[in-house]
Amino acid sequence: MADAKKGDTVVTVGTRKGLFILHSKDRKRWQKRGPYFEGVEIRHAILDPTEGKTLYAGVTSEHWGPMVARSTNLGGRWDLGKEGPRFTKESGLTVTRIWQVQQGVDGALYAGTEPAGLFRSENGGVTWSSVDSLNYWKGRDKWPPGGGGLCLHTILPYPKDVRRMLIGISAAGIFATNDGGDSWRMYDAGIREYGKQKFFDREDTATCVHKMVRDPADPAIVYQQNHAGVFRRNRGDARWSLMEKGLPVAKSTGGPFGFAMVAHPHDRGTAYSVPLVGDYNRVTPKGAMAVFRTTNGGKRWDRLSKGLPQKDAWFTVLRDGMRADDGDPAGLYVGTTTGQLYASRNGGDSWSLIADHLPQVQSVEAGTVGGS
Amino acid sequence: MVEGNTRIRVELPAGLREYAGGKGAFEVRAETLADAIREINAQHDGLAYRLLDDQGRMRRFVLVFVNEDPVAHLPPEDVRLKVGDTVRILPSVAGG
Repeated sequence: MADAKKGDTVVTVGTRKGLFILHSKDRKRWQKRGPYFEGVEIRHAILDPTEGKTLYAGVTSEHWGPMVARSTNLGGRWDLGKEGPRFTKESGLTVTRIWQVQQGVDGALYAGTEPAGLFRSENGGVTWSSVDSLNYWKGRDKWPPGGGGLCLHTILPYPKDVRRMLIGISAAGIFATNDGGDSWRMYDAGIREYGKQKFFDREDTATCVHKMVRDPADPAIVYQQNHAGVFRRNRGDARWSLMEKGLPVAKSTGGPFGFAMVAHPHDRGTAYSVPLVGDYNRVTPKGAMAVFRTTNGGKRWDRLSKGLPQKDAWFTVLRDGMRADDGDPAGLYVGTTTGQLYASRNGGDSWSLIADHLPQVQSVEAGTVGGS
Repeated sequence: MVEGNTRIRVELPAGLREYAGGKGAFEVRAETLADAIREINAQHDGLAYRLLDDQGRMRRFVLVFVNEDPVAHLPPEDVRLKVGDTVRILPSVAGG
């Protein structure tokens, strides 16, 4: 991708069979590179948001183990390092998959794994250390796996305070630290009980968090797509609260079902969701794809479908399948399990297909060459 | 490092050779499979991670044969080797 220039938008697309990278100067005409790591599952890949040059990819080889690969020249050359994250021998656990790669506020790199684990690297993924306070947390033996396994899939540093972080584990729930990972507490009060209009009062309840995002305009606000609904929470709130009005409700869970959740890069209170039929049929309702948007913090959601397929669209958008860039107006990108990548240059008002026939899309990330 | 003259041939599949400088076979001194893996890792750091999980067992989809005998299900330190043995490492036929 040597032809990408400073200021170009880069979209990394992790798939079941390799990594694809798209880049564009104007977000109209895209160039596609890849697959990198041909045939190997890439569940997540990011462009370093600060310097906008280094790519990190979670590479899960079923045969040869999971690694985090790094490229310092936008994919021209990849360095796989010597080892991936590892659990201790005493734990009896083995890392089998990299679910998430995330840059920390302090410049460290984090990896979320399956079985659920949080690992930290201070040298760009060459070596890793376990966040033992979470990985060997008392009560871990009771963590239930979700349908995709027991995975740590969301890592949310807090931009204003390096000591604060939220993480999401399916289906053990949400964990929060405010002391740099020395200690953790659960953070699940207010989540709907499955199939009911009752809500858990206790923080230490295992719930199936699907995706959490911070509102970049006020990162103390967090939006969450859970197995059993859509929620928001401000730091200091006693519990999660509903933000579902206008979203289709699944018959089984009692709330809107889906995986992906994105916050607008600039506009406070604006977020995006891709509702699915329900946990019994994880496809777009009626075969008509739509992204839903709220512009008021979840008081009301509106259906956006211009340019998206409105018939025979029987696919899933997975938890990392949608992202925003930081352009103005914001760009949005949605990848499907049937290999389409849709993009919007106007905050979701209209969409166009920018890649097709990809392997199953596991994740989408967007960044800017040279940083933003 | 294992002392003595226990010469073992270790053969790697094509998919692993990129982590071994392109090399497909090694001659090592080893009394067990664990020794053999340590020896090839000493020559190409990172090979052991490719083969062994966090518990020191062979990874789930890695096959190992000593001559004609499958041994991947055994703890590597329990697999005894003798002079002239060939250790063949293969990816299992799995996936989708």
